[in-house]
Amino acid sequence: MAAEMEATETGGLAGEMEVEAYRRLFPLAFLERHLRESVRPDARRTDEARPITVALGAVSSAHGSALVRLGDTAMLASIKLEVMSPSYEAPDEGSVGLFAVDFPCICVAPFQVIWLIYSCVAWYSAAVEFHMPPICSPVVRPGRPAEVAPVISKTLEDILMSSGMLNLKELCLISGKASWLAYLDVYCLNADGSLFDAALISAVAAFTHLEIPLVSVGDDGRVFTVGGNEGKIKYEVVNREKRKITVTNIPFSLTCALHKDNILADPTAEEESIIETSMTVVLDSSDQIVSIQKFGGAVTSMATIKDCISLAKDRRKKLRGILSVEAMEVDSHSSDSVN
Amino acid sequence: MSAAATTGTYSPAASAGEKRRERKEELRRHLAEDADWPRADGRSFHDCRPAFMQTGPTTAASGSAYAEFGKTKVIVSVFGPRESKKTMMYSDTGRLNCNVSYTTFATPIRGQGTDNKEYSAMLHKALEGAVMLHTFPKTTVDVFALVLESGGSDLPIIISCASLALADAGIMMYDLVTSVSVSCFGKNIIIDPTSDEEAWQDGSLMVAYMPARKEITQLTLTGEWSDGKITNAVELCMDACTKLCDILRERLKDASSLAE
Repeated sequence: MAAEMEATETGGLAGEMEVEAYRRLFPLAFLERHLRESVRPDARRTDEARPITVALGAVSSAHGSALVRLGDTAMLASIKLEVMSPSYEAPDEGSVGLFAVDFPCICVAPFQVIWLIYSCVAWYSAAVEFHMPPICSPVVRPGRPAEVAPVISKTLEDILMSSGMLNLKELCLISGKASWLAYLDVYCLNADGSLFDAALISAVAAFTHLEIPLVSVGDDGRVFTVGGNEGKIKYEVVNREKRKITVTNIPFSLTCALHKDNILADPTAEEESIIETSMTVVLDSSDQIVSIQKFGGAVTSMATIKDCISLAKDRRKKLRGILSVEAMEVDSHSSDSVN
Repeated sequence: MSAAATTGTYSPAASAGEKRRERKEELRRHLAEDADWPRADGRSFHDCRPAFMQTGPTTAASGSAYAEFGKTKVIVSVFGPRESKKTMMYSDTGRLNCNVSYTTFATPIRGQGTDNKEYSAMLHKALEGAVMLHTFPKTTVDVFALVLESGGSDLPIIISCASLALADAGIMMYDLVTSVSVSCFGKNIIIDPTSDEEAWQDGSLMVAYMPARKEITQLTLTGEWSDGKITNAVELCMDACTKLCDILRERLKDASSLAE
């Protein structure tokens, strides 16, 4: 009732106000007036997501990298490989992290957001990191990391490991002696909403771009890189066959903002700051649900959750064509898994 | 188990073979003694790397710029003028707050110096003289730089990129600041060094310059230099700064013509 009063009141005021001033002073009323016309402030339909571009190999100092743009959100993912001794439990596996304890399926984050993670997680890793440097958003200051960053880090890592996208055996160099540890760092270069979706796509794209360097083992048992044809085969190259890793069962996520009865797919930062709650659905290549997360806030019905899932399915279908660079990379390695 | 796993990781470097070391020494000797010898990337001694600069990569900021010189890639965002921190004392003039950080994959070995305090201070000193601080009293302008990939001459590129970002944000300045560094090898001076060249150099000199006012805002010199060589090197830097400034102006004109 009060909200209605405010809306009509501001509506009356709006006649004499500039659009940009109205947008800043009454962001909620501004959004709701748009939603009544089934359109969003950036002229998208409510169920319409923003365009995505993927550029592989953006950073040459990394072994694999990808720059993803989702509307104005920009995400740079990069993978660096280091050599480690594999664990006793899995001597023929590499790692995308160091495994330790089971993580509870439902946890309460320190800032009172309840996370429902439907995925069973048995991995812990220090190697997947999501960074929000101060350049990406006016709210992040140096020395004070954004509070969403560690949450996205953790979720990203859980989903990459639990979706079965990677075969860790391919990261093994010499069984029981040496294997690769992949450090995945995702940097947000411009934060304009749906950060997790963009981060996940960039992480997957970086893995498709990953090229494992040729290495050899020296007399001291340490692994060193070998250039294409120099060295004259003093030491034998260990991994001539294993230069790429197969990426199967690619996870894809869509974040939907839920506001009253509206579902806004792929919200911008402006929308995210106003809306009541949001929900992220993660699907794998065969449309199976990997994870659903609803970030506290207002209650939602089962029907809304189903709508979100079907939006995510539609989006995944559309993107197979749009992500041509990535689709190409993916097709050449695992054509059977993408159908 | 976890202890074993954490101690055991290292990045596999190229083998430090005898041949490789000899080759490195030979390259260094050529750079120091020959009059003109093609560098590893094919440039001659007084050629800069091709500069690619662009405004507006970060839409969330008031102004931003991206710079790419060979392998060195930098993004700078400018926020404000906005409210100073609560703990700050009252000030009649504005404040400039600079921060430089590196991505974990910027350097060959992962995670070396993600927050660079020294560069942050140097960036502040280089820009301070050019920004009209009295035009934004009581407030702060934040200049944040992120080095995506480090390929040599990082600081001069950060300074040039930051001044482009400040201009993009519409912060009042006396002039654009551009910066170029040179390395000294024996009797030769090499402009815009790559990270390999920086690692082998005998000395380095960096100049931050305002071309239209013909004023130097910052000059840093390290290593062995003779008097005559310093004068030559400074002139070389100032000349390169003037040319770089023309590129910056072009980019700003492009951006404003797009906006119209």
